[in-house]
Amino acid sequence: MKKRFTLVLPLMLVLSLILVMQTYAVETIKIGVIYPLTGGAAAEGRELRAGAELAAEIANTRIPEIKMDMAKRAGIASMGGAKIELIFKDHEGNPTLGADLAKKLIQDDKVIGIMGCYHSAVTKTVSAVCEEMGIPMINDSSTSPALTNRGFKWFWRTTPHDITFTKDLFDFLKGLTEGKAMGVPAISKAQIKTLAAACEKTEWGSQVSETIESLSREYGFDLKKSILYAAKSPDLSSEIRSLKSVKPDIMLFASYASDAILMMKTLKAEKAHPKMIWGQDAGFEAPEFRSTLGDDVIGVLSRTVFAPQVGQVKEVSGQVNFLYRKNMGRDLSGASARAFTGVQTWVEVLEKAGSTAPAAIQKAANSIFIPGDQLIVPWKGIRFAASGSDQGQNELGSGMIGQYQKNKEGEIVMEIVYPFDVATAKLIYPLKGF
Amino acid sequence: MEILAGSLSAGLLIGMVFALVALGLTIIFGVMDIVNFAHGEFLMIGMYTALLTAHATGVDPLLTIPFAGLVGFLLGVVCYLGFVKYLIRGPMVAQLLGTFGLMLVLRNLALFLFGSEDRTIQEGILVGKSFDLGMGIIFPATKLAAAVLSVISFIAVWLLINRTRIGKALMATALNAQGARYMGIPTERMNAFAWGIGGASVTMAGALLVNFWSVTPFVGLLFTMIAFAIVALGGFGSIPGAFFAGLIVGLITELPGIWDFVAEMTGFDWMAAVPMTSFKYTWVYLAYFLIMLIRPQGLFGWKH
Repeated sequence: MKKRFTLVLPLMLVLSLILVMQTYAVETIKIGVIYPLTGGAAAEGRELRAGAELAAEIANTRIPEIKMDMAKRAGIASMGGAKIELIFKDHEGNPTLGADLAKKLIQDDKVIGIMGCYHSAVTKTVSAVCEEMGIPMINDSSTSPALTNRGFKWFWRTTPHDITFTKDLFDFLKGLTEGKAMGVPAISKAQIKTLAAACEKTEWGSQVSETIESLSREYGFDLKKSILYAAKSPDLSSEIRSLKSVKPDIMLFASYASDAILMMKTLKAEKAHPKMIWGQDAGFEAPEFRSTLGDDVIGVLSRTVFAPQVGQVKEVSGQVNFLYRKNMGRDLSGASARAFTGVQTWVEVLEKAGSTAPAAIQKAANSIFIPGDQLIVPWKGIRFAASGSDQGQNELGSGMIGQYQKNKEGEIVMEIVYPFDVATAKLIYPLKGF
Repeated sequence: MEILAGSLSAGLLIGMVFALVALGLTIIFGVMDIVNFAHGEFLMIGMYTALLTAHATGVDPLLTIPFAGLVGFLLGVVCYLGFVKYLIRGPMVAQLLGTFGLMLVLRNLALFLFGSEDRTIQEGILVGKSFDLGMGIIFPATKLAAAVLSVISFIAVWLLINRTRIGKALMATALNAQGARYMGIPTERMNAFAWGIGGASVTMAGALLVNFWSVTPFVGLLFTMIAFAIVALGGFGSIPGAFFAGLIVGLITELPGIWDFVAEMTGFDWMAAVPMTSFKYTWVYLAYFLIMLIRPQGLFGWKH
């Protein structure tokens, strides 16, 4: 008996030591980040990755000049200064691949949580894996409203979704008729009444399409044509001709990068003359969109969550944008700013949780409040709905509408035209045409 | 009316491009009775050849067409001598699965070399330009150039086969290979030549196509399907058949425009709301199915 006890005692000591070490010696906290790093949305993928990496860098190093709590600490203070390590994986826009990568990240890389995935269709499958395995997922950049309608307990979304964004568009159009836009007198509704929409046909685009349909009815606009197309479609001329056939005043698009560029080129080749073109962010905001199309983008509207001009009114945005510009040679975009905010949210949630245990993270996420002055995006803050029909959705997010314009230096920049009270430039209306 | 004129002209234009894509497939089938499933992958190689050559040398993408043609010719000859020559000794199913395997190899090789990212040509003499002829007829310059080259290629191939000695030797090989061999025609070389011409025509089509169509390693499948539909409609092995069938298939892909025209004329809002463009290739496959069912030899078929 004594002999057995002498054997068991050291074994228990070793085991308890391991447990203690596990609790206190967390040096890095791994978060799996799944983005489209190749394929049609690779351009946005690169933006997202750069935004997320910058946030992790700021979280891990003390940069007191930046007016953000995360920058004032080095690592997660409540966990002994543990560093954030992001493990990036490429889903290529493929929902099945995304789900496989999520499983690998959780089982092989032992990540404590997941972030991503940009494509709503991929976020849908990845979040289902996380839900099943009880691993927290923070979604930074997918905007299909349906994602937060599922009552998931392990899924939180920081970005506003497409109902908010599309509502912004119709409020903007309504404001135009009331003469609220800077530099443009009131436009009669008859001049901007007919709409035509083309949305890519995965989860995200089809949800946008449905939202446009219902809101155009609600706001009294006439949606003459609404088509869905494959984002990987190599030729969109018949789609554009079909849109043109109803002679719309405004053309609305939900496109990823390569198809947004192709769409604009085809509009030009087919000599389309809408009075306004509005893109639901994504491809219309990718850096390649303006670098490839050049002056052809002037006057094009896109909903966005970030424009470098935000830095004029928010110091912290200007500071982070300065760092991003130093790294990447260009300004933050809606994609990179949201990826940054996603990682920042992860950091604050972990700080509050003080542990990497899923239950502690879940509890922290459900009760977190990050005030707007901490964020680079112009939101009121981050607070997730803990229950209800939009469970896990950030209730304090908001959108903007930007318009590509040339500044005094001749550079193409995105000026804010909505909300009207924060507009940074006069609206260009109607579109000059190609 | 503008919608109709615009759609019909666009359909005819893209139809000529489709016909050029199908030309190689019909030549190879005409001479050797073998269906090349890797045809779309040859097109993809042509697209990458033009795109990468234009990027590497800085020349206009249009000037890369002869080089793409040369690459295609060599690719066709190498595929025949190194692979297909052995396949045709086997049963029909071996030929089908063999070229299917070739398709997978080429596609995955491209995936390995170039990645899955979409690539497009952003600059070129013709890129982004178009001619507005009024009445809604708009010809993008890139598509017009492709259509013109398609017509030239068809005339050249037709002349080659009907007016030259080598063409007669090809025909002889096609009609009776054994008899041709007895007459002293090097049928092996004729087969390799057919693969070379087939390869060259499709890679040249690819070099033209890449001016207005983005390329990925997966682009081939759509064109293989379209080329099959064209060759089936025109008649396997028929060169004029491929041209006219190409035009028909081009018009079929423009059915949504014709639908929009009817919607406008009748004023039925429900018609305008039907998302016809989502199904534009469905009608092509449906036509393929119907032709196979009703007239398997196609409109101009001469080989049975």
